[in-house]
Amino acid sequence: MLQSNRLRRRSGAVVVTAALALVLGACTSASNNGGASASPHSTTPLVIGASISLTGDFADSGKAVQRGYDLWAQEVNAKGGVLGRQVQMKLVDDASSPTQVVSNYQNLINRDKVDLVFGPFSSLLTVPASQVAKRYAYSFLEPAGGGPKVFAQNLDNLFFVQPAPVVKSGDVFADWVLSLPADQQPKTAAYTELDDPFASPIAENIRARFEAAGIKTVYKEVYPAETQDFSAIMSKVVAANPDVLVGGTQNEDAYAQVKTLVQLKFSPKFMFLSNGANSPLEFPSKVGAQNTQGIMSAGDWFPGSTAFGSDAFAAAYIKTYGGSADTIDNSSAEAFACGQLIEAVATKTGKIDNATIISSLHQGTWPTLLGDLSWGPNGAPSGSFNLIQWQGGKLVPVFPAAIAKAAPIYPKPNWGG
Amino acid sequence: MRVPSILRGGGFVAVLLLLPLLGLQHWFLNLLVFVLMYATMSSAWNLVGGFAGYPSLGHAAFFGIGAYSLALMFKDPVLANGYEPFFVLPVVGLIGALIGWPIALISMRTRADVFAIVTITFLFVVQTLAFNLHDLTGGAQGAALPVPPFPAASFELPFYYVLVLLLCLAMGLTFATMRSKLGLSLVSIRADEDKARGIGVRTTGVKVLAFSVSVGITAMVGGVWAYYEGFIYPQFAVDPLVTIAMVLMTFLGGRGTLWGPVLGAVILEAGQQYLTYQLGAVQLYLIVYALIFLMIILLLPRGILPTIEDRLRQRRRRQRADAATADAALDLTAGSDPVTTDHVDALGGGTT
Amino acid sequence: MHALIQGVILGILTGGVYALMASGQTLIFGIMKVVNLAQGAMVIMASYLAYQLFTSFGLDPFLAIPVTTVIMFGLGVGVELLFLRPLRREDKSELSLLVTFAVALLIEGFLSVSWGTTYRSINTGYANSSWTVAGYQITVVRFWAFALSLVALGLLFWLLNRTRFGRAVRATVQNPESARLLGVEAQRVSALGFGLGAATAAAAGSVYGLLYPFYSGSHYDLISRLLSIVVLGGLGSVGGAVIAAVIVSTSSAIVAATISPAWSEMTFFVILILVLLIRPQGLFGSVSRGAI
Repeated sequence: MLQSNRLRRRSGAVVVTAALALVLGACTSASNNGGASASPHSTTPLVIGASISLTGDFADSGKAVQRGYDLWAQEVNAKGGVLGRQVQMKLVDDASSPTQVVSNYQNLINRDKVDLVFGPFSSLLTVPASQVAKRYAYSFLEPAGGGPKVFAQNLDNLFFVQPAPVVKSGDVFADWVLSLPADQQPKTAAYTELDDPFASPIAENIRARFEAAGIKTVYKEVYPAETQDFSAIMSKVVAANPDVLVGGTQNEDAYAQVKTLVQLKFSPKFMFLSNGANSPLEFPSKVGAQNTQGIMSAGDWFPGSTAFGSDAFAAAYIKTYGGSADTIDNSSAEAFACGQLIEAVATKTGKIDNATIISSLHQGTWPTLLGDLSWGPNGAPSGSFNLIQWQGGKLVPVFPAAIAKAAPIYPKPNWGG
Repeated sequence: MRVPSILRGGGFVAVLLLLPLLGLQHWFLNLLVFVLMYATMSSAWNLVGGFAGYPSLGHAAFFGIGAYSLALMFKDPVLANGYEPFFVLPVVGLIGALIGWPIALISMRTRADVFAIVTITFLFVVQTLAFNLHDLTGGAQGAALPVPPFPAASFELPFYYVLVLLLCLAMGLTFATMRSKLGLSLVSIRADEDKARGIGVRTTGVKVLAFSVSVGITAMVGGVWAYYEGFIYPQFAVDPLVTIAMVLMTFLGGRGTLWGPVLGAVILEAGQQYLTYQLGAVQLYLIVYALIFLMIILLLPRGILPTIEDRLRQRRRRQRADAATADAALDLTAGSDPVTTDHVDALGGGTT
Repeated sequence: MHALIQGVILGILTGGVYALMASGQTLIFGIMKVVNLAQGAMVIMASYLAYQLFTSFGLDPFLAIPVTTVIMFGLGVGVELLFLRPLRREDKSELSLLVTFAVALLIEGFLSVSWGTTYRSINTGYANSSWTVAGYQITVVRFWAFALSLVALGLLFWLLNRTRFGRAVRATVQNPESARLLGVEAQRVSALGFGLGAATAAAAGSVYGLLYPFYSGSHYDLISRLLSIVVLGGLGSVGGAVIAAVIVSTSSAIVAATISPAWSEMTFFVILILVLLIRPQGLFGSVSRGAI
């Protein structure tokens, strides 16, 4: 209803009061220039801030990242900290929202004045967050934003802490297939791709290489994220009868594709799923352990890896959080690797400020539990992932030969065996 | 003393304009940017949901349309001075309004229930389109906007001032509506639409106009947001929680009032950002939100400002009533009847 | 052609499940004139309950239905008493939308706190099996889901047409004032009606969990589909909702099979718009007082 004069007066007053309260709050904080100091005094703690998704859609992976960061801080402090300074992780929740993530990094950098920052979970949140870090010249080590748009920003302060950009995770599969003798290579290929910043580009990269090598594309489908029913798509795959099925997938759709193929009783000779098939516990539980044999995927860290610090990491993880090596989420390993890099820069240069980190990491290779990492000028790592395959109910690295623990099995056996 | 509304409005705007000059820190300016965004959107939603009584649950779709329109117009990542996206905002608003027009025509022919259904379905359709129209929107990979070339020291300021402008627009329109025939028409529609039509109010035209203006403003805010974030994805640009926030803020402050939505935005946006940051891993985010919503609807159904007005009005009435009875009592006892005088002396302090 | 017919089969089977969910929703509207935006969330909640019963006790989701139905019935009655009854009549239609939406968020929040946000699915032994009939694939789960939906709908029809409560409900739907004059307690019918709507969601939830992976945020997609179905069928008409569900599902499946899966999501919206343009009261809705 239309307001009376009295209400207008009152409401105006209320809003002005609220605004004044905001201003007062601002002034108090403006004068409050305290917080973690940037002084190099060796006994002040090294405060590292990060915004992670502890609630909302990315929560489960966000919590794995949190465990990785916290575990690293715990381990490095037990060894005396970084350059004698004890590490304090300041982790805040962004509720999986890009609006909140921008505010969080603003608060961490400008209000709490943390010394360093690490990245959030997912490329979706990494892109806006990295811009904030860039504005204030903070280095941005991030374990989970590896989509092409992240690197397209050409930020020199950003470092994606994984062996290679995510779109390249299928390249190792293409490498292996094309290394086979010509008569054993597949002749036809089908591509089922999730419409998503990572999944689809991975499959497309493989397709480009296969087509260039003469492997014919007999079917391709890009499906939206809400797709629940794969019968229509997989029926068409079956009708096309490909030798190799390349799935650009995340988790749920990977499981659904396998289950549908089992129902349709079709088993391709080669099968690669970019995600889903690389989770050691979920995959067999969702599709049936007897159906996993021979399926391939890509990964960076795996239990039993001999990369730098991997054993210590796994042991510490199990001691702190329980479970077994198989229950360790890769995101925790990737987060831990961020910390390893900080340690490495500190040891090598004797300094640990943002400018030093940025200039150091752009040169040379750096050992982590994901392998040796090095970066191009836009933060894209220049390594490659490992090709892993399900053998006897376990995930085993099979290619390249340097890290392979077993020979790859091909053609893929039929379902249930 | 009645402070004329022009002065009050002017004072408010002056405060907003001068605020950044206080040397506020970046994180606080960042907070203000988001508060202004939601204040503007809530004021705009108020036109349709508050005045006309049609609760649109799909406004976030237009937020997304605004965001993507701006992204489309600036696919080339090079900007001359960084202000072009702002100059283009009126076009974005027009796009939003033009898309809103047929939607309103189709969905407002029916009752409020069906209107809500159509708007909420429209929201999901826009989100689906954002995902599927790859060439236009980039699909799930998202769309990039050029990096604003503003210096880090004053980065937030251009956004801040543009949003102040948009808020003034929204509130100005609300104010003008409240005082005009248009406003009366809207309110009559909310009270009883059939009667309104019966007495000759052009209900359809009025509703559709309100809706188009409302979503046009929302689209403009979406454009500013896209530029500020730098990168947009379908599930965040077209997000049902954005609609819920707008609705909740308007409800909290008071539907159909001028200052209500702004008050709601200040309280809720600042509160929510603060809580999410400080309380860290409080998983109860959604639950708290929903509970606040339910409590407001059940306990303060008309919002803070109208409830305050009601209480004050009741108190005035009681005071006036008490004053009247007191006067009447005094009249009675002021007479020279010795019995009553003694009575009074016996009651209060006597004269002996 | 094969793909087309396969699509039609799939659409009909899925349509049964959506029919069950939509019937509860349209019933609630018929009785209380309330659009229950929490219907999708209630289905998902029932899916989680069935999931938990399966993983903790090995109880088959179909057999879990009696348990989940009772729980959800109680929840539905509780929601009506706590949140909908206190609304004043003038505000009811406007505010009930927001109240039910808030309830949906509340349920979603509760689910993400209790079970996290990873996708879940109920993987029974027969989850992957399928029959081949005349060259077409019919998954076991989908078939039993369809059968169950028919049974549940049959029960609903029996309840509405052969019991006193059902008669009271239908009277309230047709004409609340007269119903009250004849002694029907509107408030009691409302509460029980809402509970009944929630109970249908419970049955649908078990089935949904078997067919699709779900997480706490799955209710958004679900509710938008349900709303289109309910409008197409005619708000308040259970029979209409059933027929509309099959129509919408089948059209979606045909579009997915012939055009592309990406656009099948749009099908229900296109249908909704067409309905509103051509026949706003839906297939079986009534053009009644103050309606449209």
